[in-house]
Amino acid sequence: MSETMPDAPTGEETYDHGEELLLGGVKKLVVLPGASSHAASFQIEKEDHTMGNALRYFVNKNPDVEFCGYTIPHPSETKMHIRIQTWEDTKTTAVDALRRGLEDMMEACDVISEKFTEARDEFDAQQS
Amino acid sequence: MAYNGFAGFGEDAMDGVETSGPKVTVRDVEQDRCDFVLQSCSLAMANSLRRAILAEIPTIAVDLVDIITNSSVLPDEYLAHRLALIPLMSKGVGENLNYTRDCDRCDDHCEYCSVVLRLHARCTRPGTMMVYARDLTVAEPRQDAIGTPVIRDVDGTGPLIAKLRQGQEIHLECIAKKGIAKEHAKWAPTAAVGFEYDPNNKLRHLDYWYETDAKEEWPVDERNATWEGDETAADATFDPDAVPSAFFFDVEGVGTLEPDDIVRGGIEVIQKKLAETIKVLGGVGAAGVDAMNGDQSPDAYEPAPADGGYGSYGALRGGATPYGTTPYGAGGYGSY
Repeated sequence: MSETMPDAPTGEETYDHGEELLLGGVKKLVVLPGASSHAASFQIEKEDHTMGNALRYFVNKNPDVEFCGYTIPHPSETKMHIRIQTWEDTKTTAVDALRRGLEDMMEACDVISEKFTEARDEFDAQQS
Repeated sequence: MAYNGFAGFGEDAMDGVETSGPKVTVRDVEQDRCDFVLQSCSLAMANSLRRAILAEIPTIAVDLVDIITNSSVLPDEYLAHRLALIPLMSKGVGENLNYTRDCDRCDDHCEYCSVVLRLHARCTRPGTMMVYARDLTVAEPRQDAIGTPVIRDVDGTGPLIAKLRQGQEIHLECIAKKGIAKEHAKWAPTAAVGFEYDPNNKLRHLDYWYETDAKEEWPVDERNATWEGDETAADATFDPDAVPSAFFFDVEGVGTLEPDDIVRGGIEVIQKKLAETIKVLGGVGAAGVDAMNGDQSPDAYEPAPADGGYGSYGALRGGATPYGTTPYGAGGYGSY
């Protein structure tokens, strides 16, 4: 997994990349070059507007986020780019903001799922 | 300021929705339909759900057809196409069936990733013989019935596949596989997903074309338009900051999945995508993006150009096309 670069800064050698997910030999998530701690562009493989737009929305809801936008650079490549910039005076890094956005959206899905099941049961109860 | 992600900013409600968290009301359920209203939810989230339901819920459909004999008037590929469109029972496909491409139990296809159906029909008498979906036989029926043709018409025949004349014969074997509608519409669990918000066009997201009077010429869905007494209609003063808050869904299945399962399946699909991304994001946060970049290539980090032009990822690394071998493909951390 973590391939140690010969000239990688010491202390980073045990650095954990999380689980790498390869989709047909392509990484699910790549940080595009030019990133800093508070501003980064991520490339997410095999995703489109289904996740892109909603994720953009949830990341933007975080008050520590200065900017978040997403794009699908080319229509025939299944790649989605999401750019996140957080305010420099906050502790929230771009990665934190992304993770937070993903978790918030996950939570929203849980709530909708739960509410749907409730509403569905309620409908059945009303019918009988 | 209380920030709690999905539920908005609490008191500070920046956009007037999501202060109380999403709300769902089921209005109508039929065998193949589910009509519900999603409220206090963002348009982005509602649209994600719509898109997931429409195109990304796994179902099973005929994918490969081995034609042994076909002396009917229909060409082989025509038959194969018709077979693919026959709805097959898909309840539980998501969990209980592998994608053939990911299946590690076989080289080609097996019971864990496919269902085999056979069709053998020969017309021996004068006149026309109808070949229906009911004539398909599942080679090894599964306990959960995945892959059996959905037959619900009064005659119990299912869709018509072909018509044969005396002496004509069809003999074939189909391999049904798991897939999603994004790849081919035959895997679509729905015939349509009705989606509407702001039926009275109070937000002015629409600019109706009309001959004399837009109101006369564009019918509104009364039930949606009067939802919770929301008929204030066109003369309401325009609020440029208003956002849609009620989304009217009308999910119509094709019979392969129950409508409830379709809706829940859609949510699951989104969650699966998120989980996958969270998983790869994994420990990255601990060391931060710098480390990630550093690892990618020790000298990859260059400050953004002075003109602030991010977007020029490709140019940063010597001007190769962004999608070439340069930054994204081979340049990733680790190797593949």
